[in-house]
Amino acid sequence: MLHALKEIMPFGHGRIRDLPFDVLFKKFKSILERNNSILELMADMGDKMSGEYVFDRQYLVSAVERLSDLVFKLISDLSVLSEHKNKELFLGFARIQHQIQEELAGRHEFPAGALVIPLLMAGRDAEELDGGKMAALAEMHDQLRLPIPDGFVMTTKAFFDFMHHNRLMEVVETGIAQWDGRDESYLRALSEEVQGRILRAEVPHALASQIDTHIHILQEASRSRPLRLALRSSAWGEDGDASFAGQYTSLLNVPAGQVMDAYRRVVAGTYAYEAWHYRLERNYHENEIAMAVGCQIMVDGAVSGVLTTYADDAGQPAMLVTGTWGLGLPLMNGEVGGDTYILDRTPPYAIRSANVVEKPRRLAAASKGGTVWEDVPPEHRRKAALEPQQLLTLAEAAMTIERYYKRPQEIEWVFRFDGQLRILQARPLRPQPSLARASLSVDHAMKQASVIFQGRGLVAQGGVAVGPVVIVKSDADLDAFPHGAILVSKYTTPRFSRVMCKARGIITDVGSPAGHMSTIAREHRVPTVVNTEIATQMLHDGDEITLDATQNVIYRGRISELDHFELTEEMVFEESYEYRLLRRLLKRISHLNLTDPQAANFKASACLTYHDITRFIHEKAIEELIALTERHGGLDFSAPRRLISDIPLGLVVIDAGGGIRGPIDGKDISRDEIESLPLCELLAGIHESGMWCTDPVSVDMGSFMSSFTRTFCTSLAGPHKVGRNLAVILKEYMNLHMRIGYHFNIIDAYMCETINDNYINFRFFGGVTDFTHRSRRARFIREILERFDFRVEIHGDLVVGRIKKISLPRMAHRMRMLGGLIGYTRQLDARLQDDRQIDQHVQCFVHAIQGVIGGKSER
Amino acid sequence: MVIDDEPIVCKRLQSTFQKVGYAVETFTSSASALSRLHEAEFDIIVTDLKMEGADGMQVLATAREISPQTRVIVITGFATMETAKESFHQGAFDFVAKPFKLSDILDCVRRIEARLNGTEASTADSTPSR
Repeated sequence: MLHALKEIMPFGHGRIRDLPFDVLFKKFKSILERNNSILELMADMGDKMSGEYVFDRQYLVSAVERLSDLVFKLISDLSVLSEHKNKELFLGFARIQHQIQEELAGRHEFPAGALVIPLLMAGRDAEELDGGKMAALAEMHDQLRLPIPDGFVMTTKAFFDFMHHNRLMEVVETGIAQWDGRDESYLRALSEEVQGRILRAEVPHALASQIDTHIHILQEASRSRPLRLALRSSAWGEDGDASFAGQYTSLLNVPAGQVMDAYRRVVAGTYAYEAWHYRLERNYHENEIAMAVGCQIMVDGAVSGVLTTYADDAGQPAMLVTGTWGLGLPLMNGEVGGDTYILDRTPPYAIRSANVVEKPRRLAAASKGGTVWEDVPPEHRRKAALEPQQLLTLAEAAMTIERYYKRPQEIEWVFRFDGQLRILQARPLRPQPSLARASLSVDHAMKQASVIFQGRGLVAQGGVAVGPVVIVKSDADLDAFPHGAILVSKYTTPRFSRVMCKARGIITDVGSPAGHMSTIAREHRVPTVVNTEIATQMLHDGDEITLDATQNVIYRGRISELDHFELTEEMVFEESYEYRLLRRLLKRISHLNLTDPQAANFKASACLTYHDITRFIHEKAIEELIALTERHGGLDFSAPRRLISDIPLGLVVIDAGGGIRGPIDGKDISRDEIESLPLCELLAGIHESGMWCTDPVSVDMGSFMSSFTRTFCTSLAGPHKVGRNLAVILKEYMNLHMRIGYHFNIIDAYMCETINDNYINFRFFGGVTDFTHRSRRARFIREILERFDFRVEIHGDLVVGRIKKISLPRMAHRMRMLGGLIGYTRQLDARLQDDRQIDQHVQCFVHAIQGVIGGKSER
Repeated sequence: MVIDDEPIVCKRLQSTFQKVGYAVETFTSSASALSRLHEAEFDIIVTDLKMEGADGMQVLATAREISPQTRVIVITGFATMETAKESFHQGAFDFVAKPFKLSDILDCVRRIEARLNGTEASTADSTPSR
């Protein structure tokens, strides 16, 4: 009855829209504020990844709580504004919150169906699924671009499925439960039984068919016929802190048809007496054991061996390489002797000494499978197994690995008959006791060390780097960048990613730890300090320095004790549980999927992270506000007013208080009636920079329309038809949403005398042109913003720039710069034909904008 | 002496202090830390506030009692005006909120070192340097 009445009445639907405008506007402002707080908090959590801070699990728990609270309230705020109850958003939020809680509780969600994964796609954080050994290999390939044999991994999930399918877990668990802890013969018998059962067990159909598929894929890709494979154990914790070296099984040169049997044998090896006993001694519980198995293309090696990155050479640290003809297994088992080479640990990795021995026989792959001993031809027996060039290649790869894991490494390698290197395995090592003594002298070395500068700039990635400075000013410098040097440059640019695997450290004058280059540096764990302002002044080409990025100090000279100290530290921060947990949490929090408001996936149900939700809500809030203001027409102070200006921006302005001078009637206003500081400055930038052209920009008329500003229509047509060019202002505040053709610009800024309150949040998203052009444009914008000290993040085609706590004059300069930037970028649409042009345009823009923003002295 | 129930805090602080030449002992339980305090002398104690058993305030109070020349730095993830005031009231040398930068905690320790060496200008409440 009440419902029917409501239908008849022209008003009083009971809808929230009938709340007064200023109440709803307050909600809108609250949404913006919460949005900013959330972004701040996410950035704060991201900062902790650098290693500069000490934090514990409690920090993560409370940061996540604050974040969840803010996001929930944000959704509630939107519900007040919009007509939808936002059920989808709340559901999405609940889902994400649940996943985050699971991570914090230590319960891992296995991605569905991940029984077999291609090795080259394994990626980081893969240890859960791929085990220690294979995850490390994949990481070395992905992050460090080192060559590994292609293959796939039968995951830990596959292991559990296999064991459960055959009821083997129960046998293991009840068997162990009944063990008295002392009776060795009982354990031996149990081990025999379990292994026997595994060898006879059935491989579940789902797993077997996936294995077959991947073998087939390898066969297609491989040149060698018939396909031969190597299966290697890859257990949880293997090659981590507890070294299971040699305990588990590797099977070489397995024909494709015998892979299932080989799989069973490797899995059975988990419960071999020695291995099982080893684990039980270290108090491992049965549910902590999982055996993934790597299956890789068998490399029939011409030369194989082992390299230790930190060995004792008469009391001095050095690299030790041992090599022999054929496969490396007998070298490690001691069945053959090999050549030994001792190399410097610092570039150019000179050969200190070489000891070539007689190598009468070698282990080779047999044609029908398995391995076979062969005689080495007489002319090769006394020949050096490794040439200087090969040793150099090995040394560079090895130091790259050591530097990444911040631990001395033992690396198994092989050179193919075609000369190509393949890394087979890398394990962290504890340095020998004689070298360990050196760590005691670190404080003495530190006291004597001379500091070049410290505490300047921001740490993007912690760690110690020792090496020569190489100043990089151009691409040519990057091309010539030597392995093991420390990169010093004025600006940061993602082009440094080219040398990321060679650079020992990075120091810049300008840049942000949230920027793209810093993100790449963190992925590669290259110790990096940005924004020091004086690096290129204080450091010169060839200077030998020691960078301690964790504490942000740069010392003169090589302090090898500090380097050694870091290698021997009990824990590596990047390997700690807290670091890995933070990284996993950030995947659910700050990774952005919803970048394009025009795309089909820009909806509530597609939100996968908190950042997605906040992005989505921001867009929706703007839409709601526009719709709201239209409904209220000219009835109150907040009527939307059209800005009249020479440049047709089609901008509509809503004054929420003190933003406009003069009478509050009339639909139009002019520039000089604007009192809002941020908007004033932005308009000054737009009008005075000369970067705005009112002609349509001519582009290829092939598949897309030209982009030109749309003239705003006085009838205030619905937001769907009009570009959403809306500025909501107060005297000190502006929230601008401007769509110019296919570019979206969102600027949220607060400008006042109080430095601490000032900020600018700038978001740019550009569509239409093809991907390459879009990403060039994004890079152009990012480089400009970084020059003006913005913290910049890129999410696909979305560029997010933030700056805060700067003085009023500096805020004004930046607002003007943004005014020019929006205009300039619009013109740039189809003109960035190649990457070098980005640089040219950056120079051009920066030069041209100086006149508008008041010159260099403003810094 | 470093006392925190989170092993990662102990490990990172240990390595940082060792790098500049300190001998470091770490404890994840305030009980074992307290009993050790009765056995040996420490120049500096860095302690968390909220732990199981005896909490940081108690460690602070006991430390001031047993060895008044030991400087105590309080670290905590639950920093409030009240806890800060109380810590200083109880004689803490400094109060640092978690998460903190390693370089910040080092600065704190260096200030203590300077005081102990008498190189810092003395204030009304400083004890004679050793």
